[in-house]
Amino acid sequence: MAQKLEVKYGLPEKVEFCSRCVMSNQRPSSTAEFKHNIESKKTTLHIDEEGLCDACKVAEQKETGIDWKDREEKLLRLLEKYRRNDGFYDCLVPGSGGKDSALQAHILKYKYGMHPLTITWPPILYTDYGYNNFKNWIDVGGLDNISFNRNGKVMKLLTKLSIENLFHPFQTFILGQKNIAPKLALKFGVPLVFYGENESEYGNPIADNSSSLRDKSYFAMNNLDEVYLGGLSVKELMGKYDLDLIDLMPFLPASYDDLEKSAIEVHYLGYYLKWTPQEAYYYAVENTGFKARPFRSQGTYSKYNSIDDKIDDLHYYSTYIKFGIGRATYDASQEIRNKHVTREEGVELVKRFDGEFPDKYFNEVMEYLDIDPDYFKNELSDNFRSPHLWKKESGEWKLRYKVWDI
Amino acid sequence: MSKCPRKIAIIDYKSSNLFSVQNACDYGGLDATITSDKKCIKAADAAILPGVGAFADAMKKLKKLDLIEPIKAFIHSGKPFMGVCLGLQLLFTESEEFGLCKGLNMIQGQVRKFPLQSEDGKKIKVPQIGWNKITKTNDSDGSPLKNVVDGAFMYFVHSYYVEPADNTCILTKTNYEGIEYCSSVLYENIFATQFHPEKSAQNGVEIYQAWAETFVS
Amino acid sequence: MNIRIIPRLDIKGPNLVKGIHLEGLRVLGKPEDFARYYYENGADELIYADVVASLYERSSLHDIITRTAKEIFIPLTVSGGIRTIDDIRDVLSAGADKVSLNTAALKNPEIIEKASRVFGSSTIVVTIEAIKQADGKYLAYSDNGREYTGVEVLGWAQKIEKFGAGEIVITSVDNEGTGKGYDIDLINMISNAVNIPVIAHGGAGKLDDIVDAVNKGDADAIAVASMLHYGFVEKNKTDKSGNDEGNVEFLKRGGKNSRIKTADLSEIKQHMIENNIFCRN
Repeated sequence: MAQKLEVKYGLPEKVEFCSRCVMSNQRPSSTAEFKHNIESKKTTLHIDEEGLCDACKVAEQKETGIDWKDREEKLLRLLEKYRRNDGFYDCLVPGSGGKDSALQAHILKYKYGMHPLTITWPPILYTDYGYNNFKNWIDVGGLDNISFNRNGKVMKLLTKLSIENLFHPFQTFILGQKNIAPKLALKFGVPLVFYGENESEYGNPIADNSSSLRDKSYFAMNNLDEVYLGGLSVKELMGKYDLDLIDLMPFLPASYDDLEKSAIEVHYLGYYLKWTPQEAYYYAVENTGFKARPFRSQGTYSKYNSIDDKIDDLHYYSTYIKFGIGRATYDASQEIRNKHVTREEGVELVKRFDGEFPDKYFNEVMEYLDIDPDYFKNELSDNFRSPHLWKKESGEWKLRYKVWDI
Repeated sequence: MSKCPRKIAIIDYKSSNLFSVQNACDYGGLDATITSDKKCIKAADAAILPGVGAFADAMKKLKKLDLIEPIKAFIHSGKPFMGVCLGLQLLFTESEEFGLCKGLNMIQGQVRKFPLQSEDGKKIKVPQIGWNKITKTNDSDGSPLKNVVDGAFMYFVHSYYVEPADNTCILTKTNYEGIEYCSSVLYENIFATQFHPEKSAQNGVEIYQAWAETFVS
Repeated sequence: MNIRIIPRLDIKGPNLVKGIHLEGLRVLGKPEDFARYYYENGADELIYADVVASLYERSSLHDIITRTAKEIFIPLTVSGGIRTIDDIRDVLSAGADKVSLNTAALKNPEIIEKASRVFGSSTIVVTIEAIKQADGKYLAYSDNGREYTGVEVLGWAQKIEKFGAGEIVITSVDNEGTGKGYDIDLINMISNAVNIPVIAHGGAGKLDDIVDAVNKGDADAIAVASMLHYGFVEKNKTDKSGNDEGNVEFLKRGGKNSRIKTADLSEIKQHMIENNIFCRN
C-alpha cells in the first residue's frame, strides 16, 4: 500500500487534465492577493465529469452563447453615461503598454470617444523592449499616463519576502496592478475603471463571469488585520522590518467603505468586447507601436505575452514548481480555447517547453533581490514542490503526471 | 503493365526537376514517363533530357547509369529530342566548368560561365535566376516556339550558357547584364532550351505541347 | 536584370496565416486560392513557408505542394522544418523546385554544401531571419525568428555562398508584417556582400517600399506577403465557410489592416516600371 503523499496548498489530490485544453485541475484561481499567506488554501480549476474545464466552458459560451452586438450596445450605453467632454478624464485604464492594455486604452479613446487616463504600476525590472513598448503606447498610441514609482527598497523587500515565504515572485506586481487604479479613481473622482479580460476566461469559477463588474473583494479591504504582504501580516512586517504604515500603503487596496460610498465602478472590457489575446497583439502592433520580444520566451513558444518584466519568467517557473503548470501550459490552453492550435499541438508545445528554466534574466533578478541563485534553484524551490506532484528519479525532479502521458 | 513509355521518355539520371517536366507534359496531354532504362529510352518515340545542377556531375551520373551511348544513339536515330537547361548544355562539346569537362558533343560548341563582373565593372549576380526575354533570331514558324511571341519572358536558372560553333542552330537569344547569349537551339531533330518552359507559366508550359505537335501527326 | 516579385505564403495546416515579427497565426484564407490568384496575375515565383514546422518538428506541406505543382507553372520554393537530405528529396519529389533552409543550416552549415552537391546549387536557398540588436548588429535567429544563435548575418551570408547555396532570402524579423518598409541597410549589406541573388523579405507596406528595396537596397528579388494577402482579402470574398480552425477572428469581423497600403501584382509591377526597374510584365 503506497504511502499517502502530502498535498500542499489545498490542491486536489488527484491530478486531472482538461480533455479539451491542456490545463490541469491544479491551477489555482485568482484571489485577493493581499490576503494570501502560506496557509491559504487554493480554490482550483474545476473539471467536470466529461473532462471539460470551466475555462473551456466559458470559451464555448463566448463563441456561441453570447450576443456580442447586444454586449457592445450595453458598452455604448455605459460609456454614454460617463463620457465627459469638459477636458477631464472619464475613465482609468490600468496597464503597462502590453498588448492587452494597449488595446483597452486605445480602443476606448479612438473608437469609442472616451478620455482615458492610463495608470501604470511599473514592472519590477523593465526589459528594454518592454520599456519601449510602454513608451510607444504613450507616444505612438497617443495616451496620457501616470506611472506610480513606489519606494524601491520596500518593493525589493516585499518581493524578496514573497519569494521566500510564498515562492510567488509576482505578488508585489499583482498587488500594485490590481489596486492602484481603484485607489486613484477615488482620489481623482473618476468613476469608471476598465480592466481587460475576466479571469474566469482562464479558469476562475464560472459564476464570476455573469457580470461586467469586477468583484470588489479583489481590490477592497475591510481592515488591516486581514492583510498579508509577502506572506506576513502588516503588523509583523512593520514590527520586524521597521516599516511605517505609509511604506506599505502603495501595496494595499482601497478601503471597502470608501469604495462603497463612492460611485466607482470597475468593469471588464472583455465582458463587452469579444477578447482574442492574439488579435490584441495585432492591434497593439498596428496602433501603439508594440513590438514582440526578439526571442522566444523561455518556458513557452510565444513572443508577445507578458514580456516587460524580467521577473515574469520566474513567476511561471514558480507556478511550475508549485502546481506543475508552466508557461507553455498557460499559453497553449488559451490558444486551444481560441482555436488557434489543436489539443495535439498544445500537448506537443507543453512537452517541448513547459518548465524550461528561465536563465536569461535569472542571475540579474537574484542579484537585485539579494538571493543566492543556488539556494533559489535547489533548497527554496524544493521546499515548495508538493509531493503529490513531484518525485525524484535518479537525482532529478520529475512530474508524476504529464499531459502527454494521458 | 509495361514500364516503357509509349511515346515520350523523360530521361532520369538522378538530376532534379524531373517532376516539373512530367507535370508540364501531363498538362499538355503528352504521354510521357520518367525512366532511366536504356531499353525504354530506345523504344520511345521522343525523349526529353532535363537537368539542373553541375555539368561535370551530370556527365558522371550519365556515365554511371550507362546512358551516354543510348542518348547519342537516340539522337542519331533522328527521333525528336528535347533538352532543358542542363539538358541543353550537356549536348555540347565541352564546358568550362572545373577546367574543361567533355559533354555529349551532339552540337559543336562550348559552354561558358557568366562573368562575375560586366565590362563596365558592375557586379553580376551568378547564377541568373529569374525571368528574361527571348528574342527570336532564326525563322521559327515550324519550331516549337511558333506560338511564342518574340520577346516573351521565360524563366532561367543558370550560371553557364552555350556558345554554338554554328550560329544557324540558334533559335533564340537572350541578354543578361549586357551579355548576349544563346537561349535555345533548333538543330535537326534536337530542340533544346536554356530556360525552363515548364516553369515559365502558361506561355512556357505550352511549349511542350507545341513541341509534340511538330512530330505527332 | 529583371527583378522578381515573389509572393510568400505562410501556411499552417489548411490555412494561409499572416503574423507580425513571425509571430501570430491570424488566418486569412486558403493558400490554394491565393496561390492560384497570384499565378494568374503575374507572380514570378511562389514561396510556401510552413511556419510551425520547426515548432512541432514536422513538415506537412506535401499535399499542397503536389496540388500546386500540377497547375501552377512557376517556380515554387518551400521552407519550414527541412532538416535532412531526405527531407529535401521528399519536398522536391512532391513538386517543389527549390527548398529553403534556415534552422538546419545554422545548426550544421555543411548541409548546405552536401545539398548543393546532390541537388544542384540553384535548388538550395538559405533564409536568414535577422533581428537588429541594441548595438546595431544584425544577428540570425532560427526556428521562425525564435531562437537566439549569436550568429552575425554578414559573415553568415558569405559562408552560405561559400558552401554553395544558390540564393539567399534576407528577412527582417523586426519589420516583417508591420508594413513599415523593408530594412534597406540590412538588404544592402547582404546583397553587396555576395555574388548570388538576394531576395528581400519583410516589411513592405506601400509601393515605394518595393522600389526602395531594389534601388537603395540592391535586392535582386522581392518577397511580399502582407501587402498582397490583405489586398486579396479586401478584394475577394475569401471562403469563410466551415473554417473553424485557427485564429479566424479577423476574417469573421471583416477586418482591414490599417498600416498597409495593399496592392496587387500588376500595381506593383507597374510602379516598378515607372521607376525604371525592369521586371517581367
